[in-house]
Amino acid sequence: MFELFSYGDAGWGDEILQGLAITVQLAIATLPVGLCIGFLAAFASMSRARPLRFLGFGYTTIMRGLPEILTLFVVYNGAGLLINAALRWWAPEASPIDFSPFAAGVVALGMVFGAFAAEVLRGAFQSLDRGQVEAGRAIGMSSRQIFLRIQLPQVWRFALPGLGNLWINMLKDTALVSVIALDDLMRMTKVAVGVTKQPFTFYLLACLIYWAMCVLSELVLAQMERRANRGIRRA
Amino acid sequence: MTAPDTIVKAEDIHKSFGNVEVLKGISLEARNHDVISILGSSGSGKSTFLRCLNFLETPTSGKVTVHGEEILVRNGKPQNARHIEAIRARLGMVFQQFNLWTHRTVLENVMEGPVQVKGESKAEARDRAEMLLRRVGLQERMQMYPAQLSGGQQQRVAIARALAMEPDAILFDEPTSALDPELVGEVLKVMQDLAAEGRTMIVVTHEMGFAREVSSEVVFLHEGRIAEQGPPEEMFTNPKTEEFRRFIAKAM
Amino acid sequence: MNPFEILVQYWPRLLDGTLMTIKLTLMGALIAAAVSPVLALVRVHAASMAQAPLRIYVSFMRGTPILAQLFLIFYGSGQFRPLLQEWGLWSFFRDPFNCALLAFALNSTAYQTEILRGGILGVPRGEIEAAKAIGLSRVKTLRRVVFPHAYRIAWPALGNEVILLMKASALASVVTVFDLMGRTRQVFSKTFDFSVYLWAALIYLCITAIFVLLWRQAERRLSRHIGARHTPQATAQPLKETRA
Repeated sequence: MFELFSYGDAGWGDEILQGLAITVQLAIATLPVGLCIGFLAAFASMSRARPLRFLGFGYTTIMRGLPEILTLFVVYNGAGLLINAALRWWAPEASPIDFSPFAAGVVALGMVFGAFAAEVLRGAFQSLDRGQVEAGRAIGMSSRQIFLRIQLPQVWRFALPGLGNLWINMLKDTALVSVIALDDLMRMTKVAVGVTKQPFTFYLLACLIYWAMCVLSELVLAQMERRANRGIRRA
Repeated sequence: MTAPDTIVKAEDIHKSFGNVEVLKGISLEARNHDVISILGSSGSGKSTFLRCLNFLETPTSGKVTVHGEEILVRNGKPQNARHIEAIRARLGMVFQQFNLWTHRTVLENVMEGPVQVKGESKAEARDRAEMLLRRVGLQERMQMYPAQLSGGQQQRVAIARALAMEPDAILFDEPTSALDPELVGEVLKVMQDLAAEGRTMIVVTHEMGFAREVSSEVVFLHEGRIAEQGPPEEMFTNPKTEEFRRFIAKAM
Repeated sequence: MNPFEILVQYWPRLLDGTLMTIKLTLMGALIAAAVSPVLALVRVHAASMAQAPLRIYVSFMRGTPILAQLFLIFYGSGQFRPLLQEWGLWSFFRDPFNCALLAFALNSTAYQTEILRGGILGVPRGEIEAAKAIGLSRVKTLRRVVFPHAYRIAWPALGNEVILLMKASALASVVTVFDLMGRTRQVFSKTFDFSVYLWAALIYLCITAIFVLLWRQAERRLSRHIGARHTPQATAQPLKETRA
């Protein structure tokens, strides 16, 4: 049975590994996009300007209430239409852009990640000690300095557990892109199933790989949390 | 007229929160080497007044002058808000809850202001920070994080942090109120030393002993106004107002 | 096409899909709710060796995509077709609805077990001791003191879990169940009118909003005796945990 998973023509090891590589790339590409969206939405929902606040809360509320797969389809089908419509209006001669499944995956997963991350970040900013900000003001630091040197370094500590959770969820969510035909781990598994007619074996393998990635992530995150908390609690 | 050695001058400070007027026109002048203790029961507005001096609270109206930098406030709007950061850099502040930055070591807490606000070199800031920490008796704790220190030690770090900015005057906002009773002494001792070397200090406090023994002037606030003001010995032996008489009686 | 024409023309399908989504979610959540209290008790009280299989189950369910779990059951069962036929179970596994329901119930059981475990651990020890002190039996202590309190603590998190399950149920469309998502994709592939997705989004948001209202109402009833002081509030939206 093990020759099924071997590397090369006879086995499916290499195909599955290629799929895994796509999955990992997708997750890693999504993280910064999601964090950016998360920060923007968090700032919007904490802003003093009412319309911005409305926008921030609206975005996080709606995005968190929708099934991820619906978001993915909306982005995959809709964003392509939108971009090309804009392109036609802007430059009628240009050939239509193909919105790749990978790009759609990054945007959709990033939007979902961002909506949840915004809540995590907002909570983290609110749990920061106000007195430390005042101490910064009292020695004459500017708002920018206070943000960069006092708030931002500490916000990570509060946000890390939540963001870690979101990372693991996003890692699992990447499986959805197989539905829009990106050759990730899930889809390569499906291809292997189609040829070998051993669906249980291969889907179990896929599950085990995802599981391993999640457990590994948890270990790394626990390590990061320990580092972030150094000096905060008494030894 | 402002005397040439005036360091902090507050004129007719008003402050309202919503409809509640907490400060109803307070004026105060601190000259070089003055140690002014501000007393008053809770709710008298003493902390609010202190926080108005460095604009952690913006007064509703009034004027604050620190070493020639003048900020006039009308309708809750400071007229030259650009000076606020400059004023803050000249006034040190020590908080009731210490407010040390928990993600920085003791040494980094003290170096932060000189490096980031005054643009000093790290080496220079480090030398002075080490010297100041030695002076408040914490030379062995410089590499520790605030959470590893006792409350009294944290407050001494906070004092060193304020001193590192080489301020013209230091504001103390109930610096010993959050401390366990056995830790109050070590902080008061440091403050006493500062007074002895001629630092200008404005201290909101409940420590009657400190107000009486150390300060050069006592100000008693009652319901948002200065009810009584003068040299401590005179005020404590011969209180003029009924409110201050009752206040001391309760505190003793 | 005008967005409203889509709705006028296809509303029966969308309604049908909506009902299917609700059915899948409620049945999955209820099956999990029936099993999870027992498992939660095992997680709290059993010796740690005895817990090992349960811990692995929970970790597996949380560490793998629901889509993969669904495929494992729906397609994976095909590998054991002769065996399942022999046992008379094949007709069950041939039906995508059954497979989706099984996958969601298994998944939600894992999450609900952990949530309830937290609730049970949150019951003040003093209340349990008081129950013992007046001579309540173990079972009665559980039924009359531990679980009522544990559910009150866990209630907001359980509501969250149901919403997450509702969102996850959209995956059933991938194995050809015609839930709201499935119907939406069907209409889109016919009309290529993008607005149907937006209608689906609106319906999903409405389901969530109505559910949150009902859940809060129930919560208020559950915590009537606590008074207004510290009533835990169901969050309007799932906070941290999403799932695929």
